[in-house]
Amino acid sequence: MLESRIRDLLCTARDEARKQGINAEFSFHREHSSLIRLGNSAIALSTHEDLTRLDITVFDGRKTGDYGLTSDITTLEQLRDALKKASDNAQAALPKDYEPIFGAVEKTIDDSGGFDPGLESLSSEAKGDLCARVVKTIKPKGNYDFSGSWSSGSTEMYLTTTASKNEAYRKLTDGRLVLVLKEQDKKWELSVEQGGKSARDFSADAAIAEFEAMLPVYEKNPGYRTALGSQRVMFGAQSISQLLTLAIWSGFGGRGWEEKRGFTSGNKPGDKLFSDTVTILDDPTNHNVYRMPFDFKGIVRKTFPLVEQGVFKALLYDSATAAKYGRKPTGHDIGSGDFVFAAGTGNPGIAAGRKLAGDALFIPHLHYIHLPDPARGMFTGSSRFNARRISGGEFTAPMVSTRITDTIPNVLSHVVAVAAKSVLFDVSATYGRRAPEAVSVPEYLICDNVRINDVADGF
Amino acid sequence: MSITVQKVARAVKAEIARMTQAGCSFADARLYDEDSSEYLMLQDGNLEANTARLERGIGVRVLKAGAWGFAATANLAGIPGCFDRALANSLAAARLLGFPRDMGKGKASKGSYRSPVGKDPFEVPLKDKLEFLKRADASLAAPHVAHRFVTANFQRRKVFYWNTEGTEVDRWQLNTFGNMMVMAPDKEGRNQRRSHELCGDGCGTRGFEWLTDPTCFSANAERVKSELAELLAAPSLPARRRDVILLTGMGFLQVHETIGHALELDRILGYELSFAGGSHVRPEMIGRLKYGSEKLNARAGIVENSPGTFGFDDEGTPQRDYLLIDKGILVNVLSSRTDLAEANAKAGRTVVTDSGTAARSCAFYRPPIDRMTNIDIDPGSDGTLEDIVKTTEDGIIVDAPVSWSIGSNREHFHFGCEIAWEVIGGKRTKVFKNPTYHGHTLEFWGALDKVGSKETWCLRQVPNCGKGEPNQIMELGHGLPVMRFKNVETGEKE
Repeated sequence: MLESRIRDLLCTARDEARKQGINAEFSFHREHSSLIRLGNSAIALSTHEDLTRLDITVFDGRKTGDYGLTSDITTLEQLRDALKKASDNAQAALPKDYEPIFGAVEKTIDDSGGFDPGLESLSSEAKGDLCARVVKTIKPKGNYDFSGSWSSGSTEMYLTTTASKNEAYRKLTDGRLVLVLKEQDKKWELSVEQGGKSARDFSADAAIAEFEAMLPVYEKNPGYRTALGSQRVMFGAQSISQLLTLAIWSGFGGRGWEEKRGFTSGNKPGDKLFSDTVTILDDPTNHNVYRMPFDFKGIVRKTFPLVEQGVFKALLYDSATAAKYGRKPTGHDIGSGDFVFAAGTGNPGIAAGRKLAGDALFIPHLHYIHLPDPARGMFTGSSRFNARRISGGEFTAPMVSTRITDTIPNVLSHVVAVAAKSVLFDVSATYGRRAPEAVSVPEYLICDNVRINDVADGF
Repeated sequence: MSITVQKVARAVKAEIARMTQAGCSFADARLYDEDSSEYLMLQDGNLEANTARLERGIGVRVLKAGAWGFAATANLAGIPGCFDRALANSLAAARLLGFPRDMGKGKASKGSYRSPVGKDPFEVPLKDKLEFLKRADASLAAPHVAHRFVTANFQRRKVFYWNTEGTEVDRWQLNTFGNMMVMAPDKEGRNQRRSHELCGDGCGTRGFEWLTDPTCFSANAERVKSELAELLAAPSLPARRRDVILLTGMGFLQVHETIGHALELDRILGYELSFAGGSHVRPEMIGRLKYGSEKLNARAGIVENSPGTFGFDDEGTPQRDYLLIDKGILVNVLSSRTDLAEANAKAGRTVVTDSGTAARSCAFYRPPIDRMTNIDIDPGSDGTLEDIVKTTEDGIIVDAPVSWSIGSNREHFHFGCEIAWEVIGGKRTKVFKNPTYHGHTLEFWGALDKVGSKETWCLRQVPNCGKGEPNQIMELGHGLPVMRFKNVETGEKE
């Protein structure tokens, strides 16, 4: 549980608010973050941030107001002042035409299962040494330069409200290592990504092996420019995670569906959307994700299917959308989730995947993916790291930057195979506060009829 | 300077001296004495966001043995520990050293910057701000409008900066952003939208009075409603090559993504590869690369009323105004002091001499990186939008981004827009929905053949440029005229 010094302050402020008849939600966030950035095969920057944040939301009938603080929070006076500001904001607010849902932490939760002291205290020196091993092993083998980053740290989240004495607490560690190898003359780029909850999830040997496995095809073959039009594509972990999160964002958010903005707006639960092999769920019990046990309203999160064997099952409702449209919140006041693209039956391993694919484009990364037409689920993004042509079940050439512009329903309705093995892929964004997020995705996903609409001259 | 700031200044100066004694070639500190923000959003009349936030703390950098260390804390009693942490980080970074990081020779700067402000939005009662937004929301209501959105976002930052060279500067930056948008499903049941962002001519003040100036904001409500109505009845843009005229509401993004980001020196040198990407520009191309047609003149400008104007960057260097692209030739890049020596070494000649004053960080807990300031296109001499339309045989006019996807080296792009107007034989004929266009950066800018005159120039604000690891959201501006590009791939083949 949260250290008693700050916990006592928060509980005192909560109890004072209750005595004053104020309905308030208190959320506390603390992070210890560190990061090294690599550039030109060296550490370009090493950072460390210790930050605490307090967020208070006050409910005044149909009016709400928020106030947040990123500061050194050490006194009750600071909390009282923040509460007053949130109360003032609520008082001055415009009333909504629906009754907002005031968070009541369903039960006390104390979850530190995802915390690894080894990852929290992983030093910049240790990170640098691992990166140095990779650089010193691979760099002499060609005209290569390395860049990358390695973020790691711990996050504590604590929630309590004036509705009860319950407290929800979570402490976890997470990290993400990205190493990029760039060939200086030919300009192709390879990357190796590792993510996880423990210091054991990061390995120089694994990174070296992965680079070494990819290099021969890149070194021996010129860039391949594919023809425009429909192609068979084998996606990898990063590109599947991009498709998964885009599909959820544009198709399975309750607000988008209610307001007819997403590609499922013409559908209802029970409709067939995708191939039989596609199952998508939010699963806080899955071992490949960071397992958020409660949302920011204190709702206990449970396994929540969105698509089962291609059939539309349910939508995600945050509390504001649920209140506005008369639905029940589904535990998704979290901005993200523990999303899972379920594994299939394809033999494990990328090597097995390419044999299965036969002749195809391997696009394991999609760069800068975006939605030109969310109502159709149309997305566009270009290949980047590690993209290769597959001919006769073998990698035969690196691919120049190749753009896919297609719709999510089309791609996920032409699934040929889904790998039987899943991997954790860290999708945490570090804009603002540390917010660990990972998805569980199959090692590969093979789809037919994927539309290629542009091919660049270079990588 | 408040007593607290004076105390921090004393502590920082003592620590900077200690870092110098410890062998550091450079050290600096940024105190965010106040970083306030307020975000208000009405959807369909409901106040869905009513959020105020305050951040306060200090970030310090230390350069030792050619390696950077950074640390940040909100604990202003813990400044020595913060410097110690930054020093330890620099020593860790020095264990794997490449091209030594070098600040070059700098001279001390002293001074203050204040954003031009009439009415500070943080001094305006919340009730008054909400009443204004409520009226704006009401003006968007119409039978054909399914959803209405009105947002306002205010920022106020009081930042103090010190470094080993004796620089002591402070800046008080204030930003005001506003947006209105209407949405409705078209006849196929697919959502269409039309929006307007608070913008202006780059002059004047940037307080609450900017948002309440009808010409800059609320008077656009009738236009966006009317254009949404046209979109609902419009066909999708058929795919083929044609000329494209970018209104400033779309052109700013073209500039941002294919000139601004491509010319950030840290991207050029490969420091952003693992996240944001690289650049098709290499250091040796500076001064030689033909980036676009002779009509193209791009600059890192100082615009009086823009979020990209800040007086002093986050290395304390006074902001300056300089050309990036001169008559189509790349002549400079966006830089801080850190990377100049490396760029020149890699180019094999001197390609950059002075900091581009583009070292910027978004918060006390983020280190400065090379970022856009005001990346502007100089006005041309091709007249008004209607003058350009008159000379267009077969084209479209497009406005406002819906989507943007760019190659990792900024070499190719795909943009979706809210609306297109067809131009045939020098006349606007009809509206198209779901317009998109895509192309390759150098070919596209090489096809620039009409640049609107000064009366078409408009300052567009970007409140949410993302870059860096840890990620940083930055505010900046783009001033630009209307532009026409020949023979561009448009629309999506079914």
